[in-house]
Amino acid sequence: MSEEPTRGGAPTPDHELDPVIHAQARLRVMVALSVLREGDRLAFPRLQELLGMTAGNLSIHLRKLEEAGYIEVVKTHQGRTPTTLLGLTRRGRLAFEEYTAAVKALLSLTEEK
Amino acid sequence: MDHDPDERAPASPAETLRLIEAGRAAAQRDFQPDPRLTYGPWGVAWLVGFGLLFLRFGPDGRVLLAMPELLPLLVLYVLLVAAFVISGSAGMRAGRHVRGVSSIQGLRYGVSWAAAFAGVVVIASRFADLLPDAEASLLWSGLSVAVVGVLYIAGAATWQSREMFTLGVWITLVNIGGFLAGPGWHSLAISLAGGGGMLTAGFVEWLRWRRGQC
Repeated sequence: MSEEPTRGGAPTPDHELDPVIHAQARLRVMVALSVLREGDRLAFPRLQELLGMTAGNLSIHLRKLEEAGYIEVVKTHQGRTPTTLLGLTRRGRLAFEEYTAAVKALLSLTEEK
Repeated sequence: MDHDPDERAPASPAETLRLIEAGRAAAQRDFQPDPRLTYGPWGVAWLVGFGLLFLRFGPDGRVLLAMPELLPLLVLYVLLVAAFVISGSAGMRAGRHVRGVSSIQGLRYGVSWAAAFAGVVVIASRFADLLPDAEASLLWSGLSVAVVGVLYIAGAATWQSREMFTLGVWITLVNIGGFLAGPGWHSLAISLAGGGGMLTAGFVEWLRWRRGQC
Protein backbone atom coordinates (compact mmCIF):
# COMPACT_ATOMS: atom_id res chain seq x y z
CA MET A 1 0.00 0.00 0.00
CA SER A 2 1.38 3.41 -0.90
CA GLU A 3 1.10 5.95 1.85
CA GLU A 4 -0.11 9.41 1.08
CA PRO A 5 1.02 12.17 3.35
CA THR A 6 -1.83 13.57 5.39
CA ARG A 7 -2.80 16.97 4.16
CA GLY A 8 -1.89 19.86 6.42
CA GLY A 9 -4.70 21.17 8.56
CA ALA A 10 -7.02 18.29 7.71
CA PRO A 11 -9.12 16.99 10.58
CA THR A 12 -7.91 13.59 11.76
CA PRO A 13 -10.56 11.19 10.48
CA ASP A 14 -9.96 8.55 13.12
CA HIS A 15 -12.25 10.10 15.72
CA GLU A 16 -15.25 10.18 13.46
CA LEU A 17 -14.95 7.00 11.46
CA ASP A 18 -16.19 3.60 12.63
CA PRO A 19 -13.06 2.04 14.19
CA VAL A 20 -14.22 -1.50 13.39
CA ILE A 21 -14.14 -0.75 9.66
CA HIS A 22 -11.38 1.86 9.71
CA ALA A 23 -8.46 -0.59 9.53
CA GLN A 24 -7.06 -1.63 6.17
CA ALA A 25 -7.67 -5.36 6.45
CA ARG A 26 -11.24 -5.09 7.70
CA LEU A 27 -12.06 -2.33 5.27
CA ARG A 28 -11.00 -4.61 2.42
CA VAL A 29 -13.17 -7.43 3.79
CA MET A 30 -16.17 -5.10 4.05
CA VAL A 31 -15.64 -3.77 0.51
CA ALA A 32 -15.42 -7.26 -1.00
CA LEU A 33 -18.51 -8.51 0.84
CA SER A 34 -20.46 -5.34 -0.02
CA VAL A 35 -20.11 -6.20 -3.71
CA LEU A 36 -22.00 -9.46 -3.16
CA ARG A 37 -25.70 -9.15 -3.80
CA GLU A 38 -27.97 -9.19 -0.80
CA GLY A 39 -28.93 -12.80 -0.22
CA ASP A 40 -25.59 -14.14 -1.48
CA ARG A 41 -22.80 -15.54 0.66
CA LEU A 42 -19.15 -16.11 -0.14
CA ALA A 43 -17.14 -19.12 0.99
CA PHE A 44 -14.05 -18.44 3.11
CA PRO A 45 -11.41 -19.73 0.62
CA ARG A 46 -12.71 -17.50 -2.17
CA LEU A 47 -12.60 -14.40 0.03
CA GLN A 48 -9.10 -15.36 1.16
CA GLU A 49 -7.98 -15.74 -2.45
CA LEU A 50 -9.61 -12.47 -3.49
CA LEU A 51 -7.94 -10.49 -0.71
CA GLY A 52 -4.64 -12.36 -0.70
CA MET A 53 -4.65 -12.73 3.08
CA THR A 54 -3.52 -15.71 5.15
CA ALA A 55 -6.29 -17.85 6.62
CA GLY A 56 -5.26 -17.04 10.20
CA ASN A 57 -5.12 -13.31 9.61
CA LEU A 58 -8.43 -13.26 7.78
CA SER A 59 -10.07 -15.24 10.60
CA ILE A 60 -8.96 -12.69 13.19
CA HIS A 61 -10.52 -9.82 11.29
CA LEU A 62 -13.66 -11.77 10.46
CA ARG A 63 -14.14 -12.46 14.17
CA LYS A 64 -13.94 -8.76 14.95
CA LEU A 65 -16.47 -7.94 12.25
CA GLU A 66 -18.72 -10.72 13.49
CA GLU A 67 -18.48 -9.46 17.07
CA ALA A 68 -19.59 -6.03 15.86
CA GLY A 69 -22.58 -7.67 14.18
CA TYR A 70 -21.41 -6.56 10.71
CA ILE A 71 -20.98 -9.95 9.13
CA GLU A 72 -22.72 -13.27 9.44
CA VAL A 73 -20.64 -16.43 9.54
CA VAL A 74 -22.51 -19.59 8.61
CA LYS A 75 -20.83 -22.94 9.05
CA THR A 76 -22.26 -25.56 6.77
CA HIS A 77 -21.31 -28.70 4.90
CA GLN A 78 -20.69 -29.14 1.21
CA GLY A 79 -20.94 -32.91 1.00
CA ARG A 80 -18.47 -33.97 3.69
CA THR A 81 -16.33 -30.86 3.55
CA PRO A 82 -17.15 -28.22 6.13
CA THR A 83 -17.62 -24.80 4.53
CA THR A 84 -17.74 -21.36 6.08
CA LEU A 85 -20.00 -18.89 4.30
CA LEU A 86 -19.72 -15.16 4.86
CA GLY A 87 -21.95 -12.23 4.13
CA LEU A 88 -22.72 -8.75 5.41
CA THR A 89 -25.60 -8.41 7.84
CA ARG A 90 -28.13 -5.63 7.28
CA ARG A 91 -26.41 -3.74 10.06
CA GLY A 92 -23.02 -4.28 8.44
CA ARG A 93 -24.25 -3.02 5.08
CA LEU A 94 -25.65 0.08 6.75
CA ALA A 95 -22.46 0.64 8.76
CA PHE A 96 -20.39 0.36 5.58
CA GLU A 97 -22.63 2.83 3.74
CA GLU A 98 -22.34 5.27 6.61
CA TYR A 99 -18.58 4.78 6.73
CA THR A 100 -18.25 5.47 2.99
CA ALA A 101 -20.46 8.55 3.29
CA ALA A 102 -18.38 9.80 6.23
CA VAL A 103 -15.14 9.33 4.27
CA LYS A 104 -16.59 11.26 1.34
CA ALA A 105 -17.72 14.05 3.67
CA LEU A 106 -14.25 14.23 5.19
CA LEU A 107 -12.70 14.32 1.75
CA SER A 108 -14.84 17.23 0.61
CA LEU A 109 -13.92 18.97 3.86
CA THR A 110 -10.21 18.50 3.17
CA GLU A 111 -10.60 19.64 -0.42
CA GLU A 112 -12.39 22.82 0.64
CA LYS A 113 -9.50 23.88 2.86
CA MET B 1 -2.25 -5.01 18.02
CA ASP B 2 -1.75 -1.47 16.83
CA HIS B 3 1.65 -2.40 15.43
CA ASP B 4 -0.06 -4.79 13.09
CA PRO B 5 -0.06 -3.17 9.62
CA ASP B 6 -3.55 -4.58 9.02
CA GLU B 7 -4.86 -2.61 11.97
CA ARG B 8 -3.45 0.59 10.57
CA ALA B 9 -6.02 3.03 9.27
CA PRO B 10 -5.63 4.29 5.71
CA ALA B 11 -3.47 7.41 5.62
CA SER B 12 -6.11 9.90 4.55
CA PRO B 13 -9.74 10.12 3.42
CA ALA B 14 -8.49 10.20 -0.18
CA GLU B 15 -6.48 7.04 0.38
CA THR B 16 -9.48 5.39 2.07
CA LEU B 17 -11.74 6.20 -0.84
CA ARG B 18 -9.13 4.93 -3.29
CA LEU B 19 -8.94 1.65 -1.33
CA ILE B 20 -12.73 1.31 -1.38
CA GLU B 21 -12.99 1.97 -5.10
CA ALA B 22 -10.08 -0.28 -6.06
CA GLY B 23 -11.39 -3.09 -3.83
CA ARG B 24 -14.89 -2.78 -5.22
CA ALA B 25 -13.70 -2.85 -8.84
CA ALA B 26 -11.47 -5.87 -8.19
CA ALA B 27 -14.28 -7.78 -6.48
CA GLN B 28 -16.76 -6.91 -9.21
CA ARG B 29 -14.35 -8.16 -11.88
CA ASP B 30 -13.84 -11.33 -9.87
CA PHE B 31 -17.55 -12.08 -9.43
CA GLN B 32 -18.46 -11.44 -13.09
CA PRO B 33 -17.05 -13.56 -15.93
CA ASP B 34 -14.94 -11.84 -18.58
CA PRO B 35 -17.43 -10.82 -21.31
CA ARG B 36 -14.86 -11.69 -23.97
CA LEU B 37 -15.20 -15.32 -22.84
CA THR B 38 -18.98 -15.33 -22.45
CA TYR B 39 -19.84 -13.64 -25.78
CA GLY B 40 -16.72 -14.05 -27.94
CA PRO B 41 -16.77 -17.82 -28.57
CA TRP B 42 -20.48 -17.73 -29.54
CA GLY B 43 -19.84 -14.79 -31.86
CA VAL B 44 -17.01 -16.66 -33.57
CA ALA B 45 -19.11 -19.84 -33.84
CA TRP B 46 -21.92 -17.95 -35.59
CA LEU B 47 -19.62 -15.88 -37.75
CA VAL B 48 -17.63 -18.87 -39.03
CA GLY B 49 -20.27 -21.62 -38.85
CA PHE B 50 -23.13 -19.73 -40.51
CA GLY B 51 -20.62 -18.08 -42.83
CA LEU B 52 -19.60 -21.51 -44.16
CA LEU B 53 -23.26 -22.54 -44.41
CA PHE B 54 -23.94 -19.46 -46.54
CA LEU B 55 -20.98 -20.18 -48.81
CA ARG B 56 -21.88 -23.85 -49.29
CA PHE B 57 -25.69 -23.49 -49.33
CA GLY B 58 -26.23 -20.03 -50.77
CA PRO B 59 -29.51 -18.41 -51.89
CA ASP B 60 -31.44 -20.39 -54.56
CA GLY B 61 -29.27 -23.45 -53.93
CA ARG B 62 -26.12 -21.80 -55.26
CA VAL B 63 -22.72 -23.11 -54.13
CA LEU B 64 -20.52 -20.04 -53.63
CA LEU B 65 -17.56 -22.01 -52.37
CA ALA B 66 -17.09 -25.71 -53.09
CA MET B 67 -16.62 -27.86 -49.98
CA PRO B 68 -17.94 -31.15 -48.62
CA GLU B 69 -21.64 -30.91 -47.78
CA LEU B 70 -21.16 -31.90 -44.15
CA LEU B 71 -18.29 -29.52 -43.42
CA PRO B 72 -20.20 -26.30 -42.56
CA LEU B 73 -22.53 -28.03 -40.10
CA LEU B 74 -19.66 -29.97 -38.58
CA VAL B 75 -17.64 -26.78 -38.07
CA LEU B 76 -20.69 -24.99 -36.62
CA TYR B 77 -21.36 -27.79 -34.10
CA VAL B 78 -17.73 -28.09 -33.03
CA LEU B 79 -17.52 -24.32 -32.51
CA LEU B 80 -20.83 -24.27 -30.61
CA VAL B 81 -19.63 -27.03 -28.28
CA ALA B 82 -16.36 -25.15 -27.74
CA ALA B 83 -18.32 -21.95 -27.00
CA PHE B 84 -20.49 -23.83 -24.50
CA VAL B 85 -17.41 -25.17 -22.70
CA ILE B 86 -15.50 -21.86 -22.70
CA SER B 87 -18.37 -19.59 -21.62
CA GLY B 88 -19.69 -22.17 -19.16
CA SER B 89 -16.38 -22.57 -17.40
CA ALA B 90 -15.89 -18.79 -17.26
CA GLY B 91 -19.32 -18.47 -15.64
CA MET B 92 -18.64 -21.28 -13.20
CA ARG B 93 -15.29 -19.79 -12.26
CA ALA B 94 -16.90 -16.45 -11.49
CA GLY B 95 -19.70 -18.06 -9.50
CA ARG B 96 -17.70 -20.63 -7.55
CA HIS B 97 -17.96 -20.46 -3.77
CA VAL B 98 -20.87 -18.02 -4.04
CA ARG B 99 -24.09 -19.35 -2.52
CA GLY B 100 -27.51 -17.84 -2.42
CA VAL B 101 -29.83 -16.01 -4.79
CA SER B 102 -27.21 -15.65 -7.56
CA SER B 103 -26.51 -19.37 -7.76
CA ILE B 104 -30.24 -20.18 -7.86
CA GLN B 105 -30.73 -17.53 -10.54
CA GLY B 106 -27.85 -18.89 -12.64
CA LEU B 107 -29.08 -22.45 -12.31
CA ARG B 108 -32.64 -21.59 -13.35
CA TYR B 109 -31.39 -19.52 -16.28
CA GLY B 110 -29.30 -22.50 -17.38
CA VAL B 111 -32.36 -24.72 -17.16
CA SER B 112 -34.30 -22.25 -19.36
CA TRP B 113 -31.75 -22.80 -22.16
CA ALA B 114 -31.96 -26.57 -21.82
CA ALA B 115 -35.77 -26.46 -21.75
CA ALA B 116 -35.98 -24.18 -24.79
CA PHE B 117 -33.61 -26.28 -26.89
CA ALA B 118 -35.33 -29.51 -25.88
CA GLY B 119 -38.49 -28.02 -27.38
CA VAL B 120 -36.67 -26.86 -30.52
CA VAL B 121 -35.10 -30.27 -31.11
CA VAL B 122 -38.38 -32.17 -30.69
CA ILE B 123 -40.39 -29.83 -32.91
CA ALA B 124 -37.78 -29.23 -35.62
CA SER B 125 -36.70 -32.86 -36.00
CA ARG B 126 -40.30 -33.91 -36.65
CA PHE B 127 -41.06 -31.26 -39.25
CA ALA B 128 -37.60 -31.17 -40.86
CA ASP B 129 -38.25 -34.64 -42.30
CA LEU B 130 -41.26 -33.33 -44.20
CA LEU B 131 -39.42 -30.41 -45.81
CA PRO B 132 -36.93 -29.94 -48.68
CA ASP B 133 -33.34 -29.67 -47.37
CA ALA B 134 -33.03 -25.90 -47.68
CA GLU B 135 -36.34 -25.30 -45.86
CA ALA B 136 -35.49 -27.89 -43.21
CA SER B 137 -32.22 -26.18 -42.34
CA LEU B 138 -34.00 -22.81 -42.28
CA LEU B 139 -36.49 -24.27 -39.79
CA TRP B 140 -33.67 -25.51 -37.57
CA SER B 141 -31.64 -22.34 -37.58
CA GLY B 142 -34.63 -19.98 -37.48
CA LEU B 143 -36.11 -21.67 -34.41
CA SER B 144 -32.75 -21.97 -32.64
CA VAL B 145 -31.78 -18.35 -33.20
CA ALA B 146 -35.27 -17.19 -32.13
CA VAL B 147 -34.76 -18.99 -28.83
CA VAL B 148 -31.30 -17.46 -28.38
CA GLY B 149 -32.67 -13.94 -28.94
CA VAL B 150 -35.46 -14.41 -26.41
CA LEU B 151 -33.15 -15.97 -23.82
CA TYR B 152 -30.71 -13.04 -24.10
CA ILE B 153 -33.61 -10.67 -23.43
CA ALA B 154 -34.65 -12.81 -20.45
CA GLY B 155 -31.03 -12.85 -19.25
CA ALA B 156 -30.94 -9.06 -19.49
CA ALA B 157 -34.02 -8.92 -17.25
CA THR B 158 -32.34 -11.26 -14.77
CA TRP B 159 -28.97 -9.50 -14.60
CA GLN B 160 -29.97 -5.98 -15.54
CA SER B 161 -27.58 -5.93 -18.49
CA ARG B 162 -28.14 -3.28 -21.12
CA GLU B 163 -25.78 -4.93 -23.62
CA MET B 164 -27.53 -8.27 -23.24
CA PHE B 165 -30.93 -6.67 -23.80
CA THR B 166 -29.81 -4.81 -26.93
CA LEU B 167 -28.19 -7.98 -28.24
CA GLY B 168 -31.35 -10.04 -27.64
CA VAL B 169 -33.52 -7.53 -29.49
CA TRP B 170 -30.93 -7.27 -32.30
CA ILE B 171 -30.68 -11.05 -32.72
CA THR B 172 -34.48 -11.32 -32.82
CA LEU B 173 -34.74 -8.69 -35.55
CA VAL B 174 -31.87 -10.15 -37.59
CA ASN B 175 -33.41 -13.60 -37.31
CA ILE B 176 -36.84 -12.45 -38.47
CA GLY B 177 -35.34 -10.43 -41.34
CA GLY B 178 -33.08 -13.27 -42.47
CA PHE B 179 -35.86 -15.83 -42.14
CA LEU B 180 -38.19 -13.78 -44.33
CA ALA B 181 -35.42 -13.33 -46.92
CA GLY B 182 -35.20 -17.12 -47.13
CA PRO B 183 -32.64 -19.97 -47.15
CA GLY B 184 -29.07 -18.84 -47.70
CA TRP B 185 -29.77 -15.24 -46.80
CA HIS B 186 -30.68 -16.31 -43.28
CA SER B 187 -27.22 -17.90 -42.84
CA LEU B 188 -25.55 -14.73 -44.09
CA ALA B 189 -27.59 -12.54 -41.74
CA ILE B 190 -26.86 -14.73 -38.70
CA SER B 191 -23.18 -14.94 -39.60
CA LEU B 192 -22.46 -11.25 -40.11
CA ALA B 193 -25.15 -9.39 -38.15
CA GLY B 194 -25.74 -12.07 -35.49
CA GLY B 195 -22.14 -13.15 -34.90
CA GLY B 196 -20.91 -9.58 -35.37
CA GLY B 197 -23.54 -8.35 -32.90
CA MET B 198 -22.36 -10.83 -30.29
CA LEU B 199 -18.73 -9.83 -30.71
CA THR B 200 -19.71 -6.15 -30.43
CA ALA B 201 -21.84 -6.73 -27.32
CA GLY B 202 -18.97 -8.67 -25.73
CA PHE B 203 -16.52 -5.88 -26.51
CA VAL B 204 -18.78 -3.12 -25.15
CA GLU B 205 -19.49 -5.06 -21.96
CA TRP B 206 -15.80 -5.84 -21.58
CA LEU B 207 -15.00 -2.11 -21.61
CA ARG B 208 -17.19 -1.74 -18.51
CA TRP B 209 -16.10 -5.02 -16.95
CA ARG B 210 -12.39 -4.20 -16.94
CA ARG B 211 -13.15 -1.04 -14.97
CA GLY B 212 -15.15 -3.15 -12.53
CA GLN B 213 -18.46 -1.54 -13.42
CA CYS B 214 -20.48 -4.55 -14.45
